[in-house]
Order: sequence, then structure tokens, then C-alpha cells
Amino acid sequence: MTLDFSWLGDPLYQQWLITGIGTTLLMSLLGILLMLAIGIVGALFLHFRIPVLETITTVLVELFRNTPPLVQLFFLYFMLSSVGLSLTDPVTGRTVPLFSGFTCAVLSLGLYNGALAVEIIRSGLIGVPSQTVEGARSLGYTRFQTFRHVELPIGLRLCMPAMTNNVVSLIKTSSQAALVAVADIMYGATQIMVETFRNMEVMLLIWALYVVIASLVVVLMRRLTSMIRIPGYGVDQA
Amino acid sequence: MTTSQTSPLIEMRNVRKSFGLFEVLKGISLSVNDGGVVCIIGPSGSGKSTILRCINGLTPIDSGTIRVGDFSVESLRSDKKLIPLRHEVAMVFQQYNLFPHRTVMQNLMMAPVQVLRQNADEVRDRAEKLLAKVRLTGKESAYPGELSGGQQQRVAIARALAMEPRVILFDEITAALDPEMVSEVLSVVRDLAAEGMTCVLVTHEMRFAEEVADEVFFTDRGVIVEHGPPSTLFKSPSDPRLKDFLDKVL
Repeated sequence: MTLDFSWLGDPLYQQWLITGIGTTLLMSLLGILLMLAIGIVGALFLHFRIPVLETITTVLVELFRNTPPLVQLFFLYFMLSSVGLSLTDPVTGRTVPLFSGFTCAVLSLGLYNGALAVEIIRSGLIGVPSQTVEGARSLGYTRFQTFRHVELPIGLRLCMPAMTNNVVSLIKTSSQAALVAVADIMYGATQIMVETFRNMEVMLLIWALYVVIASLVVVLMRRLTSMIRIPGYGVDQA
Repeated sequence: MTTSQTSPLIEMRNVRKSFGLFEVLKGISLSVNDGGVVCIIGPSGSGKSTILRCINGLTPIDSGTIRVGDFSVESLRSDKKLIPLRHEVAMVFQQYNLFPHRTVMQNLMMAPVQVLRQNADEVRDRAEKLLAKVRLTGKESAYPGELSGGQQQRVAIARALAMEPRVILFDEITAALDPEMVSEVLSVVRDLAAEGMTCVLVTHEMRFAEEVADEVFFTDRGVIVEHGPPSTLFKSPSDPRLKDFLDKVL
């Protein structure tokens, strides 16, 4: 079998791939931000055992953690528009779904990996020594101030290794967005395959692209971890 | 000048506290005068630390009353209401309880700025003076994990002082330290006591207690068995439990 990568010279395909990489990165970045926000807020509800919100958080975490992300994406994309969540475009007068494929993909990534992040951040918070919390309380910090200035900064540092895994998982999961017609890397690849039939070569390239993106992110996360490492604290002497 | 006629700064009356079925404090009454130095001694599990934690509201009590200055501690139920009390009553712990993710200077400045909303520049000036006082000038940008235990404990004392409290509670502050670091921490406390800071110490350093205390309380199994000036308490104890305890530790 010979591999033919000559299609890579086609400017149109190059264009598709570059746009795809941009879309994947943007979608992942927004997904990560949403994931962190959901993770922190959810962990806060669980940590403070806020009535009702704690229960809702637990139910949602189990729901999103224990269902396939693809099912969640399809649910968001098809079901939400069919239950009437749509807008009427004021210019054309057409009915458009409230959530575009891109929005649905970002939401789905944020929710699925956010559910995992809730548990990751909570485990970090549990790792904060009770003495440190007590030190803050004795200085007059309220429970929320203690969370914000002491528990969260330390807890997030403690959960960086697990959070790195979650970020990488999110980037990889973003490839399913192609199935709701988001023009990401995977979507571009499928288009190229349809036109060139060089399935093996295209998939090899896509595989390499994801490896590069994920590896770069892991390096970045390691940098970040060592930047925010607490000097002289714990055993993590990276 | 403070006189013995003025009402005491801290007054505990018949304080009781149980953890589950275990009654830790079985009717504790004690008072501390403004500028006074009080030591609480006693065997482990006798409720010494719990007494301190009740005074600054870290541990809510079941019955009795605690008054600190104008505050009735048992009636302060919310975080916000406890802030003025914690402004007046600082605490230093056995494990230092510093903020590991913040530098020494930040440790000193955080609470006055974030809790008391004081001006950061003024707090920094004060913090620098306090670091000089505890002989840690030059360590401003070190992290707690980079310091020795004795240094960390002196940072913790400076952090307590940065709140400009009227009272400092010391909870076995030398118990986790190597012997050679104990003296450097105790000398800081000795200076504070000499300057007239009101101090309540839970300690196992009997000689230090004898030296600095105006009054010593001996607790055993949740009650104050005997109290008095250190000269009488250490030299001629009357209660057999205290005699037994002193025989073991001296």
C-alpha cells in the first residue's frame, strides 16, 4: 500500500483544515472556560452543602457523568430545537434554532467535562488542610471569603494533575461536534475523505493533529502547574 | 495604668461544651485582666484548647456565658457578627495555620486588608514593623513552606499582631517545634507579655508559664481544678491531681 498525501497541496483542503483547527481550538477554549465555571460553582454548592442546590448539583453531575457525551450533544442539538427553543430571525423571518451546532457543542463539552470538574475540584478542596481553613476563620474570614481566598486557590493547585486530564479529554471529545455540522478538524477531514477517498492518509493526519494539540496543551498545563506551585508545600517538586 | 478594680477583659462563666456524648468542658469559669498573662496547663484532653477556641468563637458553647470586652461571644452566631470579635481576639496555633500559597508579607496583610478593609499601604508599613519585631526582616517574599517551624510560628504571631488585637490566644504554639526553636518563639511571646499585650496561653512549657504568667489555671477532665499565681500553684499545689501532674511534667 502506498500513501498519497498530494491532496495536502490543494489550497481548498488546506483552508478547510486550518479553519477546522481554529474552530476546534475556539470550541475547546470556550468549553474549558464553561467547564471551569461549572466545576467551581458546582464544587462550591457541594462544599457548603447548600440546601436544594447541593441535591440538584449531585443529580446533574451523575446525569452528565453517566451518559455518553454524544447522546448529550444530540439531545441538546435536536431536542432543544424541537421543544421550541428557537428564534425568529428579524431580517429573514425564518425560524432558526436558538442553539447553533457550535453553541450546542460548547454547552455539551462544558456540561459533560464540567460534571467531571465538579468532582475534581471538590477532591482538591477536601485536600486543603483543616488547620489552614481554621487559620482563616480565626482571622475573621467568613465562610465564603475563606473559600475564595484560601480553599479555592489551594484546592485548584492540588487538583491540577486531574484537571489536565479533564482538559485533554474535553479537547478530544470536541471532535464529535462534526456530527452536528460544526466545521472543526474532524468535519474538514470527513469532507476531504469524501472528495479524495484517501481515508487512510486523512485519518493519519487528523490523528497527528490531535496528538500535537493535546501534547501542547499538556505542556502548557504542566507549565501552569509549576508556575502556580506553592514553594515548599507538599511533595510536588516538579 | 490598668488596675485590678476594672472589670476583666475576658470573663467565662460556667461554660459547658460537649462533643457528641463527651462533655469536654464541665462548667469552666475564668477571667483574664486587661494586660494580664494567663497560662492554662493540664493533661491532654482536659479541654485546654477548647477553652481557647470558645473564647474566639471557633467552637460554639452549649451553655454559660463568655464575655470579651463588650462582646457577648455566645450570642455572635453569624460570620459577619464574629468579625469585630476576631479583630480583638487573635489566635496562634500549634500547626501555625499559615496560608501556604501566600508569601510571608501577604500572610500578614491579607486579613487586615480583606477582612477589616484597611488601607493596604498602612497595613504594609505595620507588617514590616511586625516582621522586624519577630526578627524576620528579609523574609517578606518567602513562602511559609520555605521557612523553619520556628520562623513559621513567628510569622503566625506577626500575622495575629497585624490584626491589632487586644488579646492573643496561644494554643500550644511550641508543641510542634524542635527544642532549639522553642526559645526563639517563646522570647517573642515574652516580649509581647512585657509590653502589656493580654495573652492566654495553653502550654506544656511549665518553666515558661512560671516565668511569664500572672495567673495559672490547671484543668483536668473539663474542670478547672486549681488556679492561682504561678508561685503558689507550682511551688505548693494543694490538689492531688495537680501534684501528680506536676510530678510527671517537671
